[in-house]
Amino acid sequence: MMALTGARPRRFSGRLNPPAAVWVVLLLFCVFALAVPRFASAGNLENLLRVGSILGIAACGQTIVLILGGIEFSFGASAALASVVTVLALPSAGVAGGFAAGAAAVLLVGLVNGTLVARFSLPPFLVTLGMLMVAGGGAAVLAGGLPIDAPPSDAFSWPARGRVVGIPVPILAAAASFVLLHLLLAHTRAGRLWYLVGANGTAARLSGITVWRSVLAGYLLAGAFCALAAVILTSRVASGQPGLAPNLPFETIAACAVGGIPLAGGQGRAVQTLCGVLVIAMLNNAVVLLNLPVAYQQLMIAAVILGAVMLQQAPRLLLLLPVRPARQSEEDRS
Amino acid sequence: MSVNLLRRSVDGLRAAGSVLPIPFRVAPLCLILAVAVFAAIAPRFLSLGNAANIGAQVWVLALLAIGQMFVLATRGFDISVGAVAALSSVCAAMACNGWGLPGLSAGALAGLLCGLVNGALVGTLGLQPVVATLGSLIAVRGLSLLITGDGQVVPLDAAGAVTRLGFEPMPVLPASSWAALVLAVGAALLVGRSLAGRRILMAGSNPEAVALVGVDTRRVQLWAYGLCGLFAGFAGVLMTVRAGSGLPTEGAGMELQAIAAAVIGGTALSGGIASVAAVVTGAAFIQVLLTGLNLQGVSPFVAQIAVGVVIIASGLLETLLRSLPSFPSQSRTRT
Repeated sequence: MMALTGARPRRFSGRLNPPAAVWVVLLLFCVFALAVPRFASAGNLENLLRVGSILGIAACGQTIVLILGGIEFSFGASAALASVVTVLALPSAGVAGGFAAGAAAVLLVGLVNGTLVARFSLPPFLVTLGMLMVAGGGAAVLAGGLPIDAPPSDAFSWPARGRVVGIPVPILAAAASFVLLHLLLAHTRAGRLWYLVGANGTAARLSGITVWRSVLAGYLLAGAFCALAAVILTSRVASGQPGLAPNLPFETIAACAVGGIPLAGGQGRAVQTLCGVLVIAMLNNAVVLLNLPVAYQQLMIAAVILGAVMLQQAPRLLLLLPVRPARQSEEDRS
Repeated sequence: MSVNLLRRSVDGLRAAGSVLPIPFRVAPLCLILAVAVFAAIAPRFLSLGNAANIGAQVWVLALLAIGQMFVLATRGFDISVGAVAALSSVCAAMACNGWGLPGLSAGALAGLLCGLVNGALVGTLGLQPVVATLGSLIAVRGLSLLITGDGQVVPLDAAGAVTRLGFEPMPVLPASSWAALVLAVGAALLVGRSLAGRRILMAGSNPEAVALVGVDTRRVQLWAYGLCGLFAGFAGVLMTVRAGSGLPTEGAGMELQAIAAAVIGGTALSGGIASVAAVVTGAAFIQVLLTGLNLQGVSPFVAQIAVGVVIIASGLLETLLRSLPSFPSQSRTRT
């Protein structure tokens, strides 16, 4: 147990060892700055970060789940549920109460996910896919299938458009999320346990760790990150939308993968997620600036995501080394 | 003597029970339950017309789910099948306008190509399935938009002749349903009776062991994704046949329903277990649920919630069935 609490060796190597994705971020930034007009202007970069912050905050949650060897598909649907609940609760509960209700809805989804995965040993894939449909359907039923507008107010739009000491609130929230994620993963006992549980659940159980508690905490925290993202997203679209952000879970997984986090569990750092999020945010921004037809935008996004993931595996691909066989993480946990 | 007889009859019951292995009992159970409930609330649900309607509608989802099953059995999954079906639908419609009815097969070819690209990304290059198929989901959607000029429906010149294939009962079912049935039987033979099918199941259940006995898991994955794409292509052709046009933006959300049908049909996400009949039953269950709730005038979103609950419940039910002492759990290849 004592050995587990000591995070020092990882922290040390973590500082000296920037992830390969950093080079992808730099390369992409240089290419876009040269090739895309207005990309590198301060106004555009601020806009890029503000839009990307929602993806970033949700990706922090996804990182925890991936480290645990799980996967979280219900983010987009629970964000949609949150937006609908927020707008519906607005008249009676006020702005703060509305956002709290929305966040509570996301946390509830996270709690159900965590309970089913941790206590009933169901595959995370199955559980979060089911909850995607439940939460998405729930949002649509509550909203009657159509978006509902929120009455515009300064307080309601503050999470998305407000500024604190000149910095937009979403960017601050994303920065805080990444710092929190880094501290959790690298400096707390809970974070160390996530790595152990994700890498080898059986070993974790045999060494006396209450695995289910660690897993449940992970899914709840992932839900908390998603709740924050949902609040900002709801504020930005200023309405309750049952079809909000259907690609959020896939984009967060892609961000983590672009950052080099393996989906097999047991590995991953906050800085890797940050790099992946930056790649996807820059990409989404650049295709809009280039003003390409939608078809070419989509082809370009697909090519860069796949290219970025492959680039990191370039040494292995060039030498044609074999792929490591998939580990049996699902069994280990049960 | 009587004890012996008793024991033998208990053994017989157990043998009868183990004909349908545990994971594959969930889907028939759900289907029977759903049909019974809907029949109890609305008598016209059991009418021949409604049954024929469901029987004809189910096949798009069933074909997608069969494709998904191959991939799930290798511990992967493919979120691009909805987009691939849409692209195949467009290709089928365009080729059919050019070359007549045989051109419909171009849809299946397009699906196979997309599937092989996925397979190359996941199997040969070793990318993670979510990322690889997310990439191809986005790219394939882009391609469909590109070849249709921003997502316009491609009308068929011979729409009448083609839709007749999809609606006019040949002997009992329309030609399209017969074709889908033949494909499903082919898939079942492939999974249950062929070396390729055995390798797909093996590759999922224990990749290390499979590699040690000399099977190239990368190639197995390549072909599993290829098959998935092929069946998505067939689903796209079926969409074209039933709609009388190529639908470039159709199929969003279908991938999730397909995964749901495959999972309810007992395909183990940890690989190694798959049955085409159970997967088709799972698809039928989802279709019954959608149609039944629709007949009741219930919002389709409630059906979505119900499917979500059933996905989770099917996992719980499988755990429960497995823990019942009277059923031998020999069906699982590994425990």
